[in-house]
Order: sequence, then C-alpha cells, then structure tokens
Amino acid sequence: MVRSALQTRGRLNRGPRPGVTLIPAASVVAASALALLPVVTQQAVFPDSAFLMLIAWRLLRADAWPAWWAAPLGFVNDLLTGMPIGLSVTLWTAIMLVMDLVDRRTLWRDYWIEWALAAVLILMAETAEWKVAAWSGAPVPFIQVLPTVLISILAFPIFAFLASRLDRWRLGQ
Amino acid sequence: MAAPAGPRPGWSRRAQYSLFFGFLAAVAGLIVGLIMLVLSLVAPASYASVRGAALDVTAPVTGALSEVSATASGLVSGAGNYWDAASQNAKLKRERAELRRQLIRAQAISQENRQLKAALGLREHSRAAVAAGRIVGSSFESPRRFAVLSVGGNDGVAVGMPVRTADGLVGRVVDAGRIASRVLLVSDRANIVPARILRGGTPVISTGRGDGTVDIRPLEVGRNPFKRGDIIVTSGTGGLYPPLVPIARVIRLDDDGALGLPIADPSQASFAIVEHPFEPEALAAAGRQDQR
Repeated sequence: MVRSALQTRGRLNRGPRPGVTLIPAASVVAASALALLPVVTQQAVFPDSAFLMLIAWRLLRADAWPAWWAAPLGFVNDLLTGMPIGLSVTLWTAIMLVMDLVDRRTLWRDYWIEWALAAVLILMAETAEWKVAAWSGAPVPFIQVLPTVLISILAFPIFAFLASRLDRWRLGQ
Repeated sequence: MAAPAGPRPGWSRRAQYSLFFGFLAAVAGLIVGLIMLVLSLVAPASYASVRGAALDVTAPVTGALSEVSATASGLVSGAGNYWDAASQNAKLKRERAELRRQLIRAQAISQENRQLKAALGLREHSRAAVAAGRIVGSSFESPRRFAVLSVGGNDGVAVGMPVRTADGLVGRVVDAGRIASRVLLVSDRANIVPARILRGGTPVISTGRGDGTVDIRPLEVGRNPFKRGDIIVTSGTGGLYPPLVPIARVIRLDDDGALGLPIADPSQASFAIVEHPFEPEALAAAGRQDQR
C-alpha cells in the first residue's frame, strides 16, 4: 500500500521527452514527406502542408528552433516536394526573419490575430511560389492559385492544433 | 494571450551572442537560398544529380504506398464489377464484335499505308519503347504539374524523353534519377506541344493550363477550326514528341481557340511508356532549353 503510494503515476515526475529540441523540426520534415503520398491528380488544390506546419510552430513559439534551421528544413522540403531548389530555403528563412519583426511589434495576440497573420504569410508564400513558377516558364493566371490559398488558410487551424498538441507532448505537460 | 516572449535573452552575454549569431546564420541562409533559387531558375540542369538522387530516395516510398492504395481501390472496384456481370458481359461481347470488324479494316489500312510509304521511300522511325513504368505520385501541393514515374536512368530513361500511355501523351521527362524520374505533364503551363486536329489536320499548339486542362490555339489566325469532341494529336513538329499520339479532346470553344481535356489520365493509367525522342537530336536541344 505504501509502495503503491510512492509509484509515480499521473502528473508527477513528467519532464520533457528525449529529443525535445528536435521534435518541432522533425514534425516539419514529416509534413514535407506528406508530398510522397501516392496522390496522382491534375488539379493542385492541396495545401502546402510543410509550410503550414512551419508557420504553425513559429506562431506558437519563437524558440521552437533557431531561425537559421529554416534553411536546411526548406532544402529538405525542396528535395521531397520537387519544388525549384532554393525556393523553400529562401521563403522559409525570410518568414523566420519576418516573424522576428512581427514578434517585436505585436503586444497582444489571440487566436484570430494568429490566424490572420497565418493567412497573410500563406498569401505571401503562394504568391512567391506562383511568381517563381512564372519565371521558370509556367505563368498560370493568379486566379488559379486562389483556391489553394483559401484551402491553406482553412487548413491552418488543423496544423496549429497539431503543433500545440505536439508542443504539450514534447514538454511533458 | 500575450505575445510570445520571443528572442529576448535577458542579461546573459552568452545567450545574447548565440541569438545574434543565429540571426547572422539566418541571413546567411537567406542569401544562400537566393543564390540556389537563381541558379535553379537560370540553370536548372545544375541540380540534375541532386534532384535525381532525391527522386531515387523518395520514389520507392511513394511506389509502396501506391501499391497499397491500388490494392484497396481494386478490391472496391472489383466488387463493383461483379454486381452486374451479366449485362456487362453481353455489352462487352457486342463491343468486341464491333472492334474486331474495325481491327480488320485498320489492318488493311495499315498494310496499304506501309506499301504506300515504301513506294514513297519514307524513312520509318523506330518506335521501340525505352521503358515502361507506373505513375506513382504527382506534385499535388504545387502550382506545377509533375508526375513521378517508377523508371529511371537504370532503364535507359533520360531527360527530354516523351512519355505516353496506351491512350495518349502524358508529357516528357524533366528529372531522371537512377530508379525514378519526374515527368512534366501535358497539362503543365510550361509544356507546349505542337499538334494538329485529327479531323482535317489543321496545325495547332497545345499549352497546359495548370489545372488539368490544355489550351489549344490554331497556328493560323482566322476562323476557329475546332468543334466539340475533336481529338488533338501530336504533329511531330519539333522532333521531340512522335506524331499521331492523342493529346486531348476538345471540350469547350472560346473566341479563338479551344479548351481540351487530356486523353491520357495519369491517375487512371496503370503503365506509362517512355519512348525515344522522335528525332534524336531533339533530346539534346530539350535538355538545353528545358526550364522548370
């Protein structure tokens, strides 16, 4: 009886998981790897899951990873998704720096502001991707990108939820 | 909720330095990324080996997953086929009889064609396939239209080779790894195919629209030559794509052209065939000009 009272059960003695600093980056790589799913389609309305995961983490925590990790993460994403190499590297690192500025400027943040911020970032990213596609010989009209932007904005809460659950799990809270 | 504390390291000099160098590293990453991006826009061939290696690593994963999904969907559609087997059987028998008659006619025409060509002394191009593979994935998260094919350099696939299915044209190879390759689909905006209308042979140009359809324009300005249901086939001009491969079916007319739906649907086709470029010297030209 005494022994059972000494057993660590429930909420006692719960520390961070091993590899706690790598879990956010690993989850972004896992989201990049979603591009390996055998979906063969002629229409591109799927959200860019790795990018959504990245901004979900960055909006949740400023210290999920050092800002420069975005460059190698972007390189992995470029390789896995087959985007022009360097696009995600540039875009993701720029997003990290922009978010540092945003963190300095905002005093108060609630869920709606985060969603609006994510919407702006998604729009920026999709515009950049569209522009790079145009430069590399595929100038599609911008109106074709809008469904993807809308779906990405609507899908952001899912990734924000995933990031916050993963964050709680990795910190052992 | 207040904004996250963010990069405010307090009084620790060590923390301040590590934050500052982290910032410098991020700026360096940004510059390196920009250089890489410019390089991949200006000289896409410089990443050929990296992209090929990445394909080799990722394509087997996609291939294995696609086996699983094909099995699952095959179970469902297989059950569906048993549902009305009797009426389907009767219908198929009728169709087979009709097709046999057409086949005999086509054989006669083909034989006559061969004799006429021999009489004219036309050079015959060998149309032997390089390799046949499965389409296992696609770029469903990007505005570009690529597909991943399960054959690569080990099977003789090289950048610039045309890819088709039994139904029609799929596109051309833009990245070739050892065991997998990436195909620029006909419906990508960067894929421009010289073509003609099967009915009448009017020369046209087919350009992808990026949304699963193709834009078809006549080469000569004037009356709109299209009709709904027209079949567009490759013309062989330019030397890359072999002639008379079906590309698209016209589904809508607009003021000076038409909108077509590709005939070869990469998501339905079980096998795609990689062929040699129609004129071999076109392979080198396509490799040089290839943009992605």
